[in-house]
Amino acid sequence: MNHSPRTTTMAPIPVSDTTGRGGADDHMQAVYNELRRIAAAYLRGERPGRTLQATALVHEAYLRLAGLGQPWVDRNHFLGIAARAMRQILVDGARARGAQKRWAGMDRVSLTETLIAAKHEDAMLSALDDALVRLGEVDQELARIVEMRYFAGLSIEDTATALDISPATLKRRWALARGWLFRELSAS
Amino acid sequence: MGTRPGLAVSGIERVVMTPDERWKRVKALFELALEQMPPNIDAWLDQQGETDEDVRADVLSLLRHQERSGSFLNTPIADQAPDLISESHPLQEGQVVDKYTIVRELGRGGMGHVYLATEPSLKRQVALKTLAPELAANPEYRERFIREARAAAALEHHSGICTVYSYGEVDGTPYIAHEFVDGRTLRAEIEEGPLPSLEAIHQTAVSLADTLGFAHQHGITHRDFKPENIMRATAGRLKVLDFGLASVTTSAGGPASFVTLTGQGTLMGTLLYMSPEQLRGEKADYRSDVFALGLVLYEYACGVHPFASAQPMGIMANILNSEPTPASMHRGDLPASLVAILTRCLAKNPEGRFPSAVELTVALTSDAPKPRQDAAPAADHMVGWWRTHQLAVIALYLTACVLAWQVKEWQAGHARALFMASCIAAMIGGVLRSHLLFTERVTTTQLTEERERWKYPLTAADLVIALALLADGAILYFGDRLVPAVLTVALGLGIAAGRLVIERVTTAATFAHSDRA
Repeated sequence: MNHSPRTTTMAPIPVSDTTGRGGADDHMQAVYNELRRIAAAYLRGERPGRTLQATALVHEAYLRLAGLGQPWVDRNHFLGIAARAMRQILVDGARARGAQKRWAGMDRVSLTETLIAAKHEDAMLSALDDALVRLGEVDQELARIVEMRYFAGLSIEDTATALDISPATLKRRWALARGWLFRELSAS
Repeated sequence: MGTRPGLAVSGIERVVMTPDERWKRVKALFELALEQMPPNIDAWLDQQGETDEDVRADVLSLLRHQERSGSFLNTPIADQAPDLISESHPLQEGQVVDKYTIVRELGRGGMGHVYLATEPSLKRQVALKTLAPELAANPEYRERFIREARAAAALEHHSGICTVYSYGEVDGTPYIAHEFVDGRTLRAEIEEGPLPSLEAIHQTAVSLADTLGFAHQHGITHRDFKPENIMRATAGRLKVLDFGLASVTTSAGGPASFVTLTGQGTLMGTLLYMSPEQLRGEKADYRSDVFALGLVLYEYACGVHPFASAQPMGIMANILNSEPTPASMHRGDLPASLVAILTRCLAKNPEGRFPSAVELTVALTSDAPKPRQDAAPAADHMVGWWRTHQLAVIALYLTACVLAWQVKEWQAGHARALFMASCIAAMIGGVLRSHLLFTERVTTTQLTEERERWKYPLTAADLVIALALLADGAILYFGDRLVPAVLTVALGLGIAAGRLVIERVTTAATFAHSDRA
């Protein structure tokens, strides 16, 4: 299997812009920066409330970018890009914190248990991201579902709408994506 | 349940598929299987007309993994995104903090962050430790942070303790700049395995005890000694970090403030290496450090916590109430002296431990025999067989005496002398074997020596009994008591074989590793 090395920020997301609109990388960069900026503002106490919902984060970024008159202010398209930006931010952060590169020495049981434990989940993000790149090579849609559900925390309905499929179909494909990744990570 | 028109794939046979086509079939079958939940997937796949072996195998394996995946990915990481994003970089790469320039983040803990930084004027690397901004507002945490710097600074002339360079503040966040140790923590070593060699255990034990002993000599108790706080530099030198809980005089701080000073994030990790008196909220002293050092060394040597339990709370309960599993149960090749030292460190009552790490260091360096290299793997379960053998032989002695007595009753004469000889030999053998059993249980360290010392007397005793039984057998045979004669001879041969062949083998199997020095 082709393991594409992914070490640098942003650049090598092997994605074609399925919506047919151009400039996906620029959009990604804009959303990425915006999400980070909003999160940092919360930390400095410029926004009220200590806890910041991930979805609130995404929506605030959307409102701001839409307000700036970006040409791609289609909400569904935005959600897809925001989900990928979230994935990138979280994986970059995990890598910066010295995440494990493999799921070394983990059997299937501890794999599940490990993902329940939040701290380790962070450490595993790098390996998950690599597996997700491979999944994207097999089936781009499944990779996008994982980005939206897991990395952006979007609901079944929101994800289904954004991908233009029925919620029932989405549920089955989400199950397929989880099974595929679980197999991939268990084997590594 | 009929086939569905949606699966046009079913009719195709013997066509070479592209990976893409194959995946489409796998995906379609997987989704349909989830919808219909057939009880027998294999039969169901036949029903669907799927003949491609690869496709069938892939569908089966994906369904199996999906079933087993439990809660995998079901809780979005997004829920933690704000924390993960927001706290990721209080200090940025390239940022200048007083005379230091930040290079990158090294790690983080419940208390704050550690960065690698450079000090351009001296061209050296330093570790910059900051207190988390949300904690910096709390005077108690600031106090603890400063205390760490002071404790470490007071001890900087020991190579096992990080040298503190300076203390300062950046944007209201206090930081400590100290020596940068390039390496990994003892926690990482324990988790990544493999189990260390006896040589490595000995060196680690001596080095850690020496470092803690140095602190104790200067009146400083560490109070938070654990594998996470110990770094092994790439050069091999061990460094003890994080004197954040250290108390400079034995009465300073006290348990009450200690509990509040322990942040939520660090609470668990700390409690697992606490002494019973600390867990009870009593005063910690040098002996509490000795207990923690015993825990760390035990875990390092055996790979498991001596009070292991599935639940963290269970470990604490075990620390308070249970005796630790002897280290030799996990690793039979540990020198008995080290096992005894660990047991003493882990005594529930502080009175039972070494008074401080200084005495512990002495015990480790003087008492410990030189660790043996290429020791055989644990043969601990064999000890049970060895004990059984000893007890069985003692029982045979009794049987032999009873037999000899019976023969003497039947045919006095030579048999009387044989009975006397048997009794004396059985008494000597019995006492010696009991002595060895006692040594093995109680003063384990001397077992090898004692076995060696009594080897020939034991063989002599056994052979006397065996020969006496053979002679008794002859007497019975000539006295026309055939059956007792056969039994007596058999017992005699059994005792001789037991000593000359069987015991040799079981002893070798049990003690080979400790005898090879």
